[in-house]
Amino acid sequence: MRIGVMVCHCGNNIAATVDCEAVAAAAREFPDVVFATDHMYACSDPGQGTIEKTIRELKLDGVVVASCSPRMHEVTFRRAVERAGLNRYMFEMANIREHVAWISLDRKRNTEKAIDLVRMAVEKLRYDRPLTAKSFEVQKRVLIIGAGVAGIQAALDCAEGGLDVVLVERKASIGGVMSKLDKTFPTIDCSVCVLGPKMVDVGQHPRITLHTLSEVEELSGYVGNFEVTIRKKTPYVDWVKCTGCGACLEKCPSRKVPDSHNEGISTTTAITIPFPQAIPKRAAIDPTVCLHFTKGTCGVCKKVCPADAIDYDLKDEVVTEKVGAVIAATGLDLFDHRKCGEYGGGRYPDVITSLQYERMLSASGPTNGHIQRPSDGAEPKTVVFISCVGSRDRSVDRPYCSNFCCMYTAKQAILTRDHIPDSRAYVFYMDIRATGKGYEEFVRRAQEEYEVQYIRGRVAQIYPLYPLAGPEGNQLVVRGADTLLGVQVEIKADLVVLAVGAESAHGAPALAEKLRISYDAYGFFLESHPKLRPVETNTVGVFLAGACQAPKDIPASVAQASAAAGKVLALLSKDKLESDPQIAQVQAMRCIGCGKCERTCPFGAIRMRELRDGAKRAEVVETVCQGCGICSVTCPVRAIQLAHFTDSQLLAEVNALCRTWTETTGS
Amino acid sequence: MASESSASALSANEPSVNDSAANESSTNASADRMETLRAKIAAELPNVDFVLAYGRGFDPLHATPVTVRGEKDLDRLIFDPTCVQNLATSLYGLRGKRLGVVVKGCDSRSIVQLLQERLWERENLVIFGLPCEGVLDLAKLRATLDIASARAASFTGSPRDGLLRLTFNDDGGHDGERTREIETKGLLADKCLRCQHPNPLVFDHMIGPETLPQGAQDDYADLAALEKLSTQERFDFWKRQMGRCIRCYACRNACPLCVCKHVCLADSREPHWLSAEATLQEKWLFQVMHALHLAGRCTECGECQRSCPMGIPILLLKRMMNRELKELFNYQAGVSLEAIPPLHTFLMEEDRIKDRGLLW
Repeated sequence: MRIGVMVCHCGNNIAATVDCEAVAAAAREFPDVVFATDHMYACSDPGQGTIEKTIRELKLDGVVVASCSPRMHEVTFRRAVERAGLNRYMFEMANIREHVAWISLDRKRNTEKAIDLVRMAVEKLRYDRPLTAKSFEVQKRVLIIGAGVAGIQAALDCAEGGLDVVLVERKASIGGVMSKLDKTFPTIDCSVCVLGPKMVDVGQHPRITLHTLSEVEELSGYVGNFEVTIRKKTPYVDWVKCTGCGACLEKCPSRKVPDSHNEGISTTTAITIPFPQAIPKRAAIDPTVCLHFTKGTCGVCKKVCPADAIDYDLKDEVVTEKVGAVIAATGLDLFDHRKCGEYGGGRYPDVITSLQYERMLSASGPTNGHIQRPSDGAEPKTVVFISCVGSRDRSVDRPYCSNFCCMYTAKQAILTRDHIPDSRAYVFYMDIRATGKGYEEFVRRAQEEYEVQYIRGRVAQIYPLYPLAGPEGNQLVVRGADTLLGVQVEIKADLVVLAVGAESAHGAPALAEKLRISYDAYGFFLESHPKLRPVETNTVGVFLAGACQAPKDIPASVAQASAAAGKVLALLSKDKLESDPQIAQVQAMRCIGCGKCERTCPFGAIRMRELRDGAKRAEVVETVCQGCGICSVTCPVRAIQLAHFTDSQLLAEVNALCRTWTETTGS
Repeated sequence: MASESSASALSANEPSVNDSAANESSTNASADRMETLRAKIAAELPNVDFVLAYGRGFDPLHATPVTVRGEKDLDRLIFDPTCVQNLATSLYGLRGKRLGVVVKGCDSRSIVQLLQERLWERENLVIFGLPCEGVLDLAKLRATLDIASARAASFTGSPRDGLLRLTFNDDGGHDGERTREIETKGLLADKCLRCQHPNPLVFDHMIGPETLPQGAQDDYADLAALEKLSTQERFDFWKRQMGRCIRCYACRNACPLCVCKHVCLADSREPHWLSAEATLQEKWLFQVMHALHLAGRCTECGECQRSCPMGIPILLLKRMMNRELKELFNYQAGVSLEAIPPLHTFLMEEDRIKDRGLLW
């Protein structure tokens, strides 16, 4: 075998703490190495040119590049060796930047370690074999999970781009958090008025299949050929017949159901249409509260329905769809402020969340846009906003900034002053983070034009003035610090609004496991690269949009949704995709047919085939195998080897390292 | 379906055969039980290729596996505290046949494990289960007596509190005899002292009477003693022990669950995991591989250690893995046919491994 080695300086990134020339010189002594050199930038055009030229001139069989992480440039160099006529898997990369140069300043020992890593790569390359990719057909359809504004935008973009879209929403209607908002910052335009038309488009688009009241149960397959199982929970209403007339809502006798669309500040009926602009505008029964299901009585809705759409015997439906790509757009949920005892821990009715306040401000909300104290319905004259409730707070394990609370708090303060001109609004804040376009000006308007009192400091305690009698009896005392003045402040408030922070959607980690994507300690999905691959995940074919990745406001969610749609359109613009040949391979001679690999394979990529004598042998479904290697370590007989990571190849690396160790330590 | 047949077998399709014997002190060597065993095996003989059972070995203190193929072989059968072998060891190599096998409680765990791992088919196996109150560890006897000169041995009472009567040639070399009686309690194998499953867990015929576990719960005292040593002392201990290994692979060959002997990593040249060099590293690496391959599978039958001609305590390594399995996953190998071994499953959050923080 004839091997060439190139050691990259990466400018000064590597060369500053590694003697690259010495590494190249040492590499020339390794077995089968016929050429070794160093280069300022191996990934540059001249660098790649040198690699190609050397392969041709010296008739190399394989190349080792010692440079940066393979995550960055492995693809680059594989293409380079392929251009020179080699198989792209006859290439190995030694990471002497992240693994050596960046972690130590000791030039001598760094150089030794770099030599070790190059030696390991050379030894592995000696066991490498050419591998060829196979190609397979793709499904030109996309699954989008979550139909908030991000999911809606991604669905519309994909559908306009010519893909069939399967849109899955957990709730009865699409719209997400944005459909609950009254106005949006910084323009104070009506939220549902801008979202509504998009929702209607989704409902009417011929390429979009909408599954509401539905959840993804299972995702199997691989990029280009996913198969998704969706559980459609039954609404106990035949949605083909239902016209959304609302007759059933008027007659339903159980009227004390907390209205989740209104964040629990009002009640609704057991059969309900969540809000007037709902898509699809269809009634659904909540069987946990419906009298027919809890007590076996009633049946009023069935009697009054003019379309005869109610059917108590309907069952959940499980549908499977084949798709080529997936966009996760599961959005966010809000921090539960009951974890914060200092703000009453949910005990005081007049301490509400920002989203409850938002519903109150909304003209289509339970109070028709009038601000009322939940305790007595009176119009509050003093409203205190507390920001960073469940954000930037390590004591409740929410150390991150929720991104948009500063802005919606300013918006709500402005709207408060708008709705009740003789009111006063106070905002307790830690810092004001108004970094978007027009955001800083917006906060300035709140402070200067609307005379909202911004107090820099945290609130230590909220307690009721009660049992004092009189008109002030129902007030709450908000005690906190004004850290700019260095004094304690106490404000008698009629209403306290907590700017609760964002959390990952409930159940997001479970979904991530189904999608086989990574998530952080808070349940937010992990992007593939924080800067350069912000909408991709580490599972090829699964993309992210909106606040499932991190707390985001509407413009950012919409932008990311369009970006994800663009990625999907680019991916599925090809008729065929290439499969990765780095997959499991069964040596039938060794296989004892115990089937452990079949049971442990997370992708269902192994099946058992029967030989003529009845013996069983494992078999890998090449397009399904993801090359994770679990079967390889499960196999008691080592009958399964992962191509490009075989035992022999790994052992060669380990032996190379140990041999060096023995030589240098003399033991 | 293997699962159906095994389920019915587990639900004791035969009640305790000899109820009268249950009242007496049960012993491994009861004459009644031997009659029952012979009768049961005779009845099953037409249905199987042969039955694996115990016969008398080269001296009165050794048993040997025998294959019972016809009525004439029945006289060779024995069952007493010298029947230490785990006959399940032979099973994997005999796949494809239809066999009967005689098992003690501990041996039955190996069978459960083989069945659970689909390494044998339940319908091709007829299991004769023999409740057992303990077998001898000849090393313990050898420590005080020249057992090679014993001419006869007989047992009275249960191995747990009975006697072993040994007959030796008289010292003078005449025809005279000398006998010696020893309490069997002190001669029992260590595994018997902590035995929790004296009655076979899977069987077609239970040759009763069933007995109760005698040991206290396994407290891994042997491991604790080893772990009291400093790291260096423990390292030295293993260096000393492993240095004596002669790489005969008796431990591997005696293991009922070492099922890849035909392609063993120790013999493989591609990949070349182990070299033939007789160095400490190579010897030790093999034992570590053996222990790791048995993690979550080893039933601690102890055959590896018993068969080691150098007396290396290799069962310690396997017991170490098993203790970890028990602590982390509350799992014990070879006690349930339906169990899915923890290393063959994936759970988002293991009960006893909290690595995801506050999310759940």
